[in-house]
Amino acid sequence: MWISWVLSLELNKDRDVERIHGSGINTLDIEPVEGRYMLSGGSDGVVILYDLENFSKKPCYTCKAVCSVGRSHPDVHRFSVETVQWYPHDTGMFTSSSFDKTLKIWDTNTLQPADIFNFEGTVYSHHMSPIATKHCLIAVGTKSPKVHLCDLKSGSCSHILQGHRQEVLAVSWSPRYEHVLATASADSRVKLWDVRRASGCLFTLDQHNGEKSKASSEAANTAHNGRVNGLCFTSDGLHLLTVGTDDRMRLWNSSTGENTLVNYGKVCNTSRKGIKFAISRGCNPEFAFVPYDSNIAVYTIYSGELITMLRGHYSTVDCCVFQSDFQELYSGSKDCTILAWVPALREPVPEEDNEKSLPLQSLNPAYEDAWSSSDDEG
Amino acid sequence: MHRWLRAEGRGAVEESLHSLAALFPRGLFDDALPPLVLRHQLYSLVPARTAVDQHLNSMKEEGLVRLFQLGFDTDAFGVVFTEDYKAKVVEAVAGKESEALVRRFLDSVLTPCADISYDTVRMMQDFGFRDADITQLVGAGVLTVRDAGSWWLAVPGAGRFMKAFLRGRKAVLALIQKARYREVLLAELQSRRPPRAVRLGLPYHIHDLIGAQLVRCIPSTSGTLLRLADT
Repeated sequence: MWISWVLSLELNKDRDVERIHGSGINTLDIEPVEGRYMLSGGSDGVVILYDLENFSKKPCYTCKAVCSVGRSHPDVHRFSVETVQWYPHDTGMFTSSSFDKTLKIWDTNTLQPADIFNFEGTVYSHHMSPIATKHCLIAVGTKSPKVHLCDLKSGSCSHILQGHRQEVLAVSWSPRYEHVLATASADSRVKLWDVRRASGCLFTLDQHNGEKSKASSEAANTAHNGRVNGLCFTSDGLHLLTVGTDDRMRLWNSSTGENTLVNYGKVCNTSRKGIKFAISRGCNPEFAFVPYDSNIAVYTIYSGELITMLRGHYSTVDCCVFQSDFQELYSGSKDCTILAWVPALREPVPEEDNEKSLPLQSLNPAYEDAWSSSDDEG
Repeated sequence: MHRWLRAEGRGAVEESLHSLAALFPRGLFDDALPPLVLRHQLYSLVPARTAVDQHLNSMKEEGLVRLFQLGFDTDAFGVVFTEDYKAKVVEAVAGKESEALVRRFLDSVLTPCADISYDTVRMMQDFGFRDADITQLVGAGVLTVRDAGSWWLAVPGAGRFMKAFLRGRKAVLALIQKARYREVLLAELQSRRPPRAVRLGLPYHIHDLIGAQLVRCIPSTSGTLLRLADT
């Protein structure tokens, strides 16, 4: 039942998101508890909270901003906000990280930062595990090759994962195992870590699957032939999608690290920072929504087919997020708008089976209204 | 021009490979080269890329075709039917002193091992070739140096093909670039006189551009439109 909904995603003239950001939107996140509130982070350092629910009785409504950390807020980020994320267990808290080298933990009700973590380099990405019960670690990818793990409970930031050689552009926890973390770096490598282990990473993804003959020697053990700047696990955590500046997207088996060799063709990628793309949930087959210049390319994950391009933004699309309850997509772009892509309603299919439905009332001609509204016929 | 195959499956891939090989101009290089097809040209005839890759891999494992790293792009592989390749290599070394060595290479290394490159360890230990032998093989054009201690499998004389191919590709792209709105109708492009730099024939290059996604195919009421890709 859900397949056709994603295939009919289109820009909906009835749904709008209030336009507040004065500059490009870099990140979006929808809270996982109810799917009702959405956070957005912009290049001006502003973080805005939207209510996506429609309480007006009209089909045409605008998602209003509930509150925001604006330029006048004393603790607003000084530079561009790159990642925002809701606390996975409730909406009382959210986190934001920025080019001003900080990661801030915010209390949603008072909009005050409960904690601030400082780093040596600009922060490209952070992520908190959506399923973790035994730890409260936030993985942070910065300009430094070291991946930092910040502990919310103790406030310490001493746990470091070493292994990458250049800046870490994207981090993501596995939605299946709470201790497994994937990191992508500008050194063309993607590493999977088990944070409980003191030794190095679990494995490094190799695009040639160990076939030394395919690559030149420098390209050994690389996931892409360029910077890897986007990471996303599928909703069951069994596969991992990565995008790189070699204009390729690759699908990996996340337990063995094997390249499944699904060929998506050329997936244009010119971003110098991370790309935030989304994978659908709750439908079969699963789709990936990847920003492609000012459009969004929709691919079937396991077959590599390009289904469609969603057109609507006026400038580069930076992030996408999928709302699984209603199978809707929200995308943020450099043109300062957030667009909502809603499945187009289909015409109700006439019931073939008429036994259960009420028989159509056929009007007995004797009861037909003989009154005519036209004066001429009268 | 070839029908645009919409079918999938192994048969479609084989048929496309044969029809693309037929486009290769044998006489141009004095018939010294086997018909060389680029892997991404297959994508323009059979659109399901992942399936094409899988079928091509199984054909490679069976020994029907060989893949070659061509050198201008890490992702661009050349595909040659094994029989054609062997015939042309034997022709190239006929009468020279390296003939026996090359024949030995073809029988003992090429046939059992479907790889794209070989390194010192395998050549010397597994197959028993010495340094001098390897130098002779490189001289014969069957191996090309990759880096210290490893070699790509190569098509002898492929340098001329690469030069003609890259020049031709650049010329066709320039043609589309100069057109109004950087797009041209496929039918119109096919009917034009190819510029002098295009020696491999326009259809060969068109398949290459479409498969490599350097142009986008846009269906229109007057037929397929080829528009230059943005980046």
